[in-house]
Amino acid sequence: MPMADVERGPDAGKHQPPSLDEFSKRLDAVRGDPEATKPPRASVGPALGRAMRVASELLAALLVGTLLGWGLDRLTHLEPLFLLLGMLFGFASGVLNLYRAMRAENKAPPASG
Amino acid sequence: MSGLIGMLKAAGPMEQFEIVPIVPFGIGGVDLSFTNSSLWMMIAAGAIFLFFFAATRGRALIPGRIQSAAEVLHEFMANLVRDTIGHDGMKFFPYVFTLFVFILVMNFFGLIPSIPGVAHEYHTFTPTSHLIVTLALAMLTIGIVIVYGFAKNGLKFFKLFAPSGLPLWLMPLLVPIEVISFLSRPISLAVRLFANMFAGHIILKLFAGFVVSLIGAGGVFAALGIAPFAGAVAVTMLEFLVAALQAYVFAILTCIYLADAAHAADH
Repeated sequence: MPMADVERGPDAGKHQPPSLDEFSKRLDAVRGDPEATKPPRASVGPALGRAMRVASELLAALLVGTLLGWGLDRLTHLEPLFLLLGMLFGFASGVLNLYRAMRAENKAPPASG
Repeated sequence: MSGLIGMLKAAGPMEQFEIVPIVPFGIGGVDLSFTNSSLWMMIAAGAIFLFFFAATRGRALIPGRIQSAAEVLHEFMANLVRDTIGHDGMKFFPYVFTLFVFILVMNFFGLIPSIPGVAHEYHTFTPTSHLIVTLALAMLTIGIVIVYGFAKNGLKFFKLFAPSGLPLWLMPLLVPIEVISFLSRPISLAVRLFANMFAGHIILKLFAGFVVSLIGAGGVFAALGIAPFAGAVAVTMLEFLVAALQAYVFAILTCIYLADAAHAADH
């Protein structure tokens, strides 16, 4: 149905003054078909993006946790207590980040490969 | 470490990331020179301005080619912001849109080959291949999230770290995890964009370097040069994809973090 509309489109515009109502109807018809508006999916790109996301989420949290622990150690002179705690908590929040990232991606299927 | 950097520099792939001052300038020992990085940021901003100036000049009901391109871009980002933050999040649209287009154009312009023979400071440069640039953008995003979060929710913004209904004994365990998770956002945002651009450009340069050395070796080796050449072509195509994808990821994560700040009190 939308295909026919698209093919008729340019000709219809030439013969008659384009009515706005009719134009927006045609526009809606084309837009209403999700398959027509969806860009073709590449397989390598999104997968690569996801891999990078996984790596950076996990590493960034571990880094922040470790650095916080190291800083607290320097402040309190309780070496290596906070460093170890920071690494543990950092890893835990990395996993939490990952869980959130993956859950967000599953909610929005077009973003994933 | 410095030995490794020295080796890479001799082989060439690190030379493209070198910051070269064009107009040396500084105040009280702080280096504020206008560098090749600044130049390419300005080129990107100028190109964006020219593009949207040309695209919005006509403002035709039935858009021409350039106006269509601008409208598609606008609508794409508007939908993204509306879907992730909601209707009241549209006040962040100008920021997210600017961020996306700026990163996208910087990434793309970095893929333009340098004009052979020009001075080093005018070689093509990718500002996003430097961690400090991406970190500044990420810090700006997180700064807006924090300011907006407190402005909208007041002290209830802290509920982001301690969801209501959480048993008290779990607090000491969960609050540090949530705080670290929040603090890691700008880092992961910045490192992801930087690492992608940095790694991509190194691989590209290495492949291209192999072609030159193999042709230089002559004979059978010159014929073998076709393999890294094909690799360089493939990596170039991949890099175009990565450039667009990383700009998109940066924008969508900015939206997600802003949505968190907007709805912190509802948790």
